[in-house]
Amino acid sequence: MSEKVLELKQVTIKFGGVTALDSVDFHVNRGEICALIGPNGAGKTTVFNVITGVYPATSGEILFKEKSILGLKKHQVTKTGLARTFQNVRLFGEMTALDNVIVATDVHKRTGLVRALFGTPLNRREERSGSERAHELLKLVGIDHRSDQLAKNLPYGDQRRLEIARALGTEPEVLLLDEPAAGFNPAEKVELADLIKKIRDTGYTILLIEHDMSLIMGISDRVVVLDFGQKIADDLPTIVQNDPRVIEAYLGVPADAS
Amino acid sequence: MANLKSRFNLRDFGANLWEGWNRQTRVTFTLVLIGLVALLPFAASWGPTSFLNTPITSFENVLVYPVGMFVLMALGLNIVVGKSGLLDLGYVAFFAIGAYTQAIMSTTLGWNTWEVLPFGIAFAMVAGVMLGLPALRLRGDYLAIITLGFGEIIRIVALNLKITKGPDGIPGIPNPPAILGLDFSLENPSHYFWLVLGMILLVNWMIRRFTIRRPGRAWEAIRQDEDVASLMGVNTLIYKLWSFVIGGAVGGAAGVLYASKTMVISPDMFKFEVSILILGCVVFGGIGNIWGVVVGASILAYLPERIRFISDARQLVFGAVLILMMNLRPDGLLPRKKREKLTKRGSL
Repeated sequence: MSEKVLELKQVTIKFGGVTALDSVDFHVNRGEICALIGPNGAGKTTVFNVITGVYPATSGEILFKEKSILGLKKHQVTKTGLARTFQNVRLFGEMTALDNVIVATDVHKRTGLVRALFGTPLNRREERSGSERAHELLKLVGIDHRSDQLAKNLPYGDQRRLEIARALGTEPEVLLLDEPAAGFNPAEKVELADLIKKIRDTGYTILLIEHDMSLIMGISDRVVVLDFGQKIADDLPTIVQNDPRVIEAYLGVPADAS
Repeated sequence: MANLKSRFNLRDFGANLWEGWNRQTRVTFTLVLIGLVALLPFAASWGPTSFLNTPITSFENVLVYPVGMFVLMALGLNIVVGKSGLLDLGYVAFFAIGAYTQAIMSTTLGWNTWEVLPFGIAFAMVAGVMLGLPALRLRGDYLAIITLGFGEIIRIVALNLKITKGPDGIPGIPNPPAILGLDFSLENPSHYFWLVLGMILLVNWMIRRFTIRRPGRAWEAIRQDEDVASLMGVNTLIYKLWSFVIGGAVGGAAGVLYASKTMVISPDMFKFEVSILILGCVVFGGIGNIWGVVVGASILAYLPERIRFISDARQLVFGAVLILMMNLRPDGLLPRKKREKLTKRGSL
């Protein structure tokens, strides 16, 4: 039995009369790639938002490494070891690719304003280690040659990769990827799948939102399916693929069955 | 080679030049530049540059106030508006707090300017926290309105308190005692200018250090996308608060100095217009660019004094210059833009 690193217990979110998530229960094991799928509006991104502290949960509990992270501020959640990317690329466009990642590495730094002002040895050490780490991560995602370019000027695919590198910059244990392959062609998707596997093998746990079934079936260890804010399946990819409820959620009920 | 005129860009030209230099050339250039600026008070009496001379107020005095003070305050406001992207419409409040600290402490306790200065800065910083803690939970327009209110509150409080002597203001504020061979009597306005220049350089040094290190990155991230910044682990409230506090400290220091130079202050010196004018300096010069802000503030502070001979029409000319400028260069004289270093020239 592997260790549950992230666990959602009966998480419910209501926006006025709309129940975005309805008693959602699932967990992510350490070292796996867990995919979160579901039709549009099923609440996938809402799950990310409630985990990372963007929305408060109406009820329920979220445990990260067996500690509750519900109610923590966004930057505190990040500091505990959860980092995410965004469905629509949201980089710091006017900063270089390298600086984008260094901002994220700063989360565990001890340099405050006074140390930065006087350039203490600690500050200089941290500035150097931050930039080295950022270069390593850019190399990992394969865009180190673009480190000095502004993020907004990068090609789309590289922007997606930079988002992953930036999230890794916060040294997370669990990486939340929100549709990392959106807008990719099949060849790029294959490369991305390899990258995600490589990142997992480096020692990260990955929770992934994705629409592309072939990508999900290829890399994920487990698939959680949401529909209208409820979990309808949670199993191995091959089993989920043939689950009638999942097929129904995606394709609707056959006409002759109803 | 499409359009040569649009290709020339003073900011990029300067930045390229600077990057091409080695350390020694840079230091020499900086020292020569500082030296030239320090000689400015003599420009009015030297033939070729005598056209700079201002009617009515002496040129040396204009260099101290408004020019020097405006540059100092614009640099302080630039930390708030330019670096972390928070619109502050009540910046004059910090200036007023510094000025009143100097006025009250020197006239009642008999302390001299150098003894009051740390207190003036400290009070302005405390005011920054007091304003920032509630206000920084808001964003954009709402934040701007709160800061606007704050600026007015400070002025109205000064107008009504006994200790600030209400609308009469506080007279008889002593000049700073001599220090480092500078003698701050009214006959020596250029000595004040050198003092303000020193402070400007100090603030500049401070901002540069912050900008290239963690605080600068955090501010930049907040300015570009606050939600993402906090999701990437930036404690946004603390960093926004710091930018308020540091900006406030600069304003407070300017206020202390201003009070001991003019020797008398009253609430009507700290009106809303001053905040707007300082903000105008920042926008005119180029939000976020230190060089732009310095040049912009110098021009906006100096111009009305230079054309004072046309009396009331000068405001009209001043306004026309602003409109013209903002039409021609909407991003300011020297706009901010993080330059992109091409790893291989011509690879794009």
